[in-house]
Amino acid sequence: MTTPTPDQIKTLEQSRQRLVQLTHSLGSLITSLNQSDPLPSWPSLQSQASIISSNLLTLSTHLSENHELLRSIPAYPAPEFPTKTHGNTLEQLLRTKLDPRVDDWVSRGRKGDTNALARPGSTLPGGGVSSALVGGFGNGGAAGLSEGDLAALWEWAPVEANMEARRRNWGGDFTLEERERGVQGIAAELGLRRTLEDDEGSSEEEEEEEPDEMEVVGVRKSITGSGVEFDIAPSGAGARAAAQEGAAPLVPLDDILRYMTTGVLPGQR
Amino acid sequence: MHELLLFASVPAHQHHELLQQLAGLTAMQPRHRLERRLVFKAHRKPGLSNARGGTNQGADIVRLNKMLNGGMYYTQVVGPISEPDFETQPSSSGDPDAPMSGTDETAGSSYDYDSQPWKLEFRDIPEAGTRSTITARLAASATLPKGDIVTPMNAWGYSFVTEYVVEGDAFIHNDIVIFLHRVLQYPIHGQEPHEPRRQLPSFRDMSPLERSGSYILQAAITVQDGSNQELMRTASQHLFGLREQLKSAVRLEHADRLSLDTRAK
Repeated sequence: MTTPTPDQIKTLEQSRQRLVQLTHSLGSLITSLNQSDPLPSWPSLQSQASIISSNLLTLSTHLSENHELLRSIPAYPAPEFPTKTHGNTLEQLLRTKLDPRVDDWVSRGRKGDTNALARPGSTLPGGGVSSALVGGFGNGGAAGLSEGDLAALWEWAPVEANMEARRRNWGGDFTLEERERGVQGIAAELGLRRTLEDDEGSSEEEEEEEPDEMEVVGVRKSITGSGVEFDIAPSGAGARAAAQEGAAPLVPLDDILRYMTTGVLPGQR
Repeated sequence: MHELLLFASVPAHQHHELLQQLAGLTAMQPRHRLERRLVFKAHRKPGLSNARGGTNQGADIVRLNKMLNGGMYYTQVVGPISEPDFETQPSSSGDPDAPMSGTDETAGSSYDYDSQPWKLEFRDIPEAGTRSTITARLAASATLPKGDIVTPMNAWGYSFVTEYVVEGDAFIHNDIVIFLHRVLQYPIHGQEPHEPRRQLPSFRDMSPLERSGSYILQAAITVQDGSNQELMRTASQHLFGLREQLKSAVRLEHADRLSLDTRAK
């Protein structure tokens, strides 16, 4: 056992500081999501996300730069460690296995990492970070293909994917074959973590409603949520202005209704 | 039976556009409607009246009697007609959706007053206050004998006031009946007759009451049980929903209560 050199202590100290920064910015994002009402605006969310992302990036670089050292350093309690007051910290430091929760994160990260590697050219930031955290295993993989190979792959893939896609009968996110075999299975097979909506059912409903759109004038739900919009828009300022100019009815609605009710001609009251 | 109503005034130039929009909204073609409307007014306390004139419509007559003995009201007698009923061929301005006879050029008028079916439409003055953003009123209808209607109406204590024709297109949107219509007046030669016309003039001679040719958009929901507050509220909400949907095209509003006052003073 040797005492760590000042350099090594500096490295450890830096890791600690970067982790503190990261937890701090994550914490502030969580607080703002939890507490602010209405939710924070997009720009502020995005700036927080980019702060977190850059924190992750520096941490990741730092960890992978020093992973030799970090992997080889074991924690060893010195006799003067205040075990009575800081027992928890000590237990955390002496763990040989990861906390089960952390273990979950790591395995999810690794999975993301392998997925990312399976798709050359796109790396999931989460995957990269987690692999770095675990010891930088993934770092060699991304460099597995040379520039030329990558370019050739990009050249080939879109055309091939397109041809492959055209051979199948698509209904939304899944092909008909896939749908017949069961969407759930396919999702698992492809490693889809996000649930893609199987919109077969709703598309039928839409077809029933289609006459709405096929009539003489298109009607669609307004973006604002209430009301419908018409393709020929009387709501346009021009039409409204025209309505106000002279073409307005001469006899007020009330008078017409009165005539219809009692036969009293407008202006005879 | 209760009626919930919203109205809007539609300038003539917007009529065609609105027809298309309504067709789009309701996913149906407009149903063209032509109605003769006769306005009758109670001229004496009808308590003395003895119900006669229709023997085969027991239930209707009972309801009618109850209605007629209430107060003094204007009431309407409505008869469906079609364009060929007018003396000459339909004018070019007629709606192409209307039924056309087309072939009998020589026959002239095919209108037969004696077989004209009639319906009595009683409408109370709209309810005051409670639902001020919507027009709600008691409504009742009854089938009447065909043909000459003035005699039985007189017997019930009603005298003929005037008549006009309502021309328009109806749409059904869920439980809402949308009726885009206007009032046509008969051409007046000298004095206005004191009884319904037995012959109809040429459709071309009918003139719109509103000279600029504007239309009225009426959206109506009929509630069978008007005492059911829940139903009335749902119906109002449906009407408000339609008002929102049509907001970009027309502004549906409740009508002035007094303009729909059917009480005879």
